[in-house]
Amino acid sequence: MFAKNKNLHANPKLGRSTAHAFDRAVSWPLGQIVTRQTRRLAASVAFVVAGVLAGAGCRSNTPPKSATAAASKSGVPRGGDLIASVRSEPRSFNRHAASDSTTELISNLTQGKLVHVNQATQAVEPSLAESWTSEDAGRRVTMHLRRDVVFSDGHPFTADDVLFSFEVANDEKTQSILADAVRTGGKPLQVAATDPHTVVITSAAPFAPGVRVLEILPILPRHRLEAAFKAGTFAKAWGLDTPMSDIVGLGPFVLSQYAAGQRVVLTRNPKYFAKAPDGGALPYLDRLTIEILPDQSAELLRLQSGQLDMMTSEISPESYASLKRSADGGKITLLDLGVSRNAEGLFFNLKPGAFGADPRAPWLQRDELRQAINMAVDRKVFVDTVFFGAGVPVYGPETPANKVWYWEGLPHTPYDPAAARQLLASIGLTSGADGVLKDARNQPARFTLVTQKGRPSMERSVAVIRDELKKIGLTVDVVALDSRAVIQAFLTAKYDAIYFNADKTDLDPGTNQDFWFSSGLAHMWNLEEKTPATDWERRIDELMTKQIASPDLAERRQLYNEVQKIFYDHQPMIYFAAPRIFVAHATRVTNLTPAEYRPQLLWRPDTVAVIR
Amino acid sequence: MTWYFARRLAFAAFLVIAVSSASLVLARLAPGDFVTESAGTEISRQTLEQQRARYGLNKSLGEQYRDWLAAAARLDFGYSMQYGRPVRDLVPERAANTAILALAALVFATLIGLPLGIISGSRKSGVLPGMIRATSVVLLSMPPLLTSLFLLFIAARTGWLPIGGMHSAIVPPGGALADLLRHLVVPAAAVGLPLAAMLERLQSQAMSEVIGEPFVLATLSRGVPRSRIVWRGAFKAALRPVAAVYGLVIGTLLSGSFAVEVITTWPGLGNLMLQALRSRDVYLVAGCAGAGALFLACGTLLSDLALAVVDPRASETRAERA
Repeated sequence: MFAKNKNLHANPKLGRSTAHAFDRAVSWPLGQIVTRQTRRLAASVAFVVAGVLAGAGCRSNTPPKSATAAASKSGVPRGGDLIASVRSEPRSFNRHAASDSTTELISNLTQGKLVHVNQATQAVEPSLAESWTSEDAGRRVTMHLRRDVVFSDGHPFTADDVLFSFEVANDEKTQSILADAVRTGGKPLQVAATDPHTVVITSAAPFAPGVRVLEILPILPRHRLEAAFKAGTFAKAWGLDTPMSDIVGLGPFVLSQYAAGQRVVLTRNPKYFAKAPDGGALPYLDRLTIEILPDQSAELLRLQSGQLDMMTSEISPESYASLKRSADGGKITLLDLGVSRNAEGLFFNLKPGAFGADPRAPWLQRDELRQAINMAVDRKVFVDTVFFGAGVPVYGPETPANKVWYWEGLPHTPYDPAAARQLLASIGLTSGADGVLKDARNQPARFTLVTQKGRPSMERSVAVIRDELKKIGLTVDVVALDSRAVIQAFLTAKYDAIYFNADKTDLDPGTNQDFWFSSGLAHMWNLEEKTPATDWERRIDELMTKQIASPDLAERRQLYNEVQKIFYDHQPMIYFAAPRIFVAHATRVTNLTPAEYRPQLLWRPDTVAVIR
Repeated sequence: MTWYFARRLAFAAFLVIAVSSASLVLARLAPGDFVTESAGTEISRQTLEQQRARYGLNKSLGEQYRDWLAAAARLDFGYSMQYGRPVRDLVPERAANTAILALAALVFATLIGLPLGIISGSRKSGVLPGMIRATSVVLLSMPPLLTSLFLLFIAARTGWLPIGGMHSAIVPPGGALADLLRHLVVPAAAVGLPLAAMLERLQSQAMSEVIGEPFVLATLSRGVPRSRIVWRGAFKAALRPVAAVYGLVIGTLLSGSFAVEVITTWPGLGNLMLQALRSRDVYLVAGCAGAGALFLACGTLLSDLALAVVDPRASETRAERA
């Protein structure tokens, strides 16, 4: 099933980005007038401030001259410093102990993996495993490891480190966050070493996504962490107070400094195993600084003023206009990376008996209600209001960003409020003289829609949904809560409806079993069902079981299309639109391979370079 | 005086315990906990519960509070779940950064506010005193949050100053101290400008009262230059009411700079507390709130002591007065 692949870089388009610059015309006359006026005022005040600075005023981030300053044979500049930003502090330097995005980013920068998923092409590429073969319908995979690879402290990397990494993930005492991610069919993968450079990974059941799941597992140094593992203190190992020199890895960078609340500084790992296409050493950068900036406004200000080179997340739709002006002025480069793979969705609480004696119970969990909502929201209005036009309508669980699994044949629901009213009438919700829908008790048909506070696009989305549903007589009470409270609400099944995101970490549906299977923890509308609550969920379980086991891609696609059709018919999660992803970076950053998934510009950190 | 001091100290201790306890209880009662989001939604219930047990979040609120209080009595304020470090170590580090900001703002406000107050208070009319008064009123009515946004805007447009943070990623030529001073300008001005305006108003009012006193008029009639009287004799006499509120100003400065810290990404207590609240790091929330209350309590204590020194009647009990 897994073809041998010896190319480290499947997409070596050096010196240019694979995304295209976005050049949509934007007119902001008011903003320009304000800018002109305030510029004069700012100049006056700044003159006074300049006096205080007494000549010290200058850009603070002038990079020092590097000893390795040079250009590679392929023309990619070597050396230099890059400053990126994250929104939150890392919670640990141990990927097994924390799942936040900053911990994950730092792990990706400092640790090696057996395989690498190319976020631009979605192909699985070799990394520490230089090739692999599979047998027994994909149950057994033999991986051949690179030779002459050493950790950043010079200790040789062998199959023993791979075994240790799996032991850590699978050991209950470790309480690893990654334990569930490296299981197939609910059982841990079995790993054995046949020689110091060969490992055999056996899955309990056929698993079509194959070795892609290994992308999540960092390969850790046994010689450094075994003592903590044996002592049962692994979960606390490599915490934020660990001396940087104690943390070693196989990644392109090593940790150099952590200033709590400020930044994490990484320097190039001179022993990094991967090589550039011209045979030169990677990474190109000498130093990578990750600034911790809690909100996007701070990130944008620094990016526009040249104090930051890139962010590690996409820019919000409302920030686009100001960045476009900076891009037009040549200060930054703005990229349109296409449609997001993820769309936020609305789901009702479909747990049987969740509403008990609530008189709304007869209609709140009906398919017709969700189908009516699907028809009653004008997706064009949704895209224009929520994403300021920079988005596409979405009708099912996959967006057009998923080139392999998006199904063109899925019906596109037309905007039809009249048909929506008819559907609602069929479940006993009829319109009164005031246009408000009422149930059998003559009470207004209303429900509470919970969403995440502090996410402007989500808050705009629920406002559109509320206004659109008001047109057909449904009353929606919007409640914005912080993300923990939203998660708590659906974990405890105490809600009417939620508008939230269920991000996919990988595009292969076989890796999103928790969402699809009725027993899954991310089966949003009814978590962890003991047995499927409905016939259509039972059918999806059956189809997904076959889909995950099938080695034939065409068959897998056909099965998944059927799953998408059932999903569409019952609308357990209603999708309206997906945004386009925009990112921005300083013009001095080069040799990027942008992808729409986070960190869009830094998922391949070893090949990023800066012009100095 | 000793009894007075002891009473104020006891009140300060009560304030710190009450504020940190209330913060811990409220943070714990909010829906969701540290594990809810840090673990995400795609891990099993079993793993989720293991994580919860690891952080002691599986205990009841009463049990958790009792354990925390008992440990706090031994000056152990718990472990930050987010940072994996003792709260006792984390809070002083950030409090020091907040203190640097507050001190810079205080020095800035004093150096600007007091002289301007003397100028505006010693002259009843004129363009300059009028401009000073008008500027003070504008600054007093502008919350530090807005001031910091405005200053950040200027820094971003001109590129003359760093936009937030405490140190540059790469230490520029001139050294770390110069770098710190440049980073201090925006947040210290944001906190200090309204304070300078307040000091100016206080000093101006006190000055205008003192300038009409008989001893000032008598000195003037003896031919002593007006500037010497204003800047030496009258200034000292007018300083008393300003000195009396200085302690209180210090207390409010330290806790009041939290919003500015967040806007300017200054790595102080305010930012730490925001992070702790966002991640439901209950022990860290309690620690930060306690530290904020401690600042306020110390400021109040200093203010009370200053007042007691200036006016001994303030330290007398009602019984003593009777």
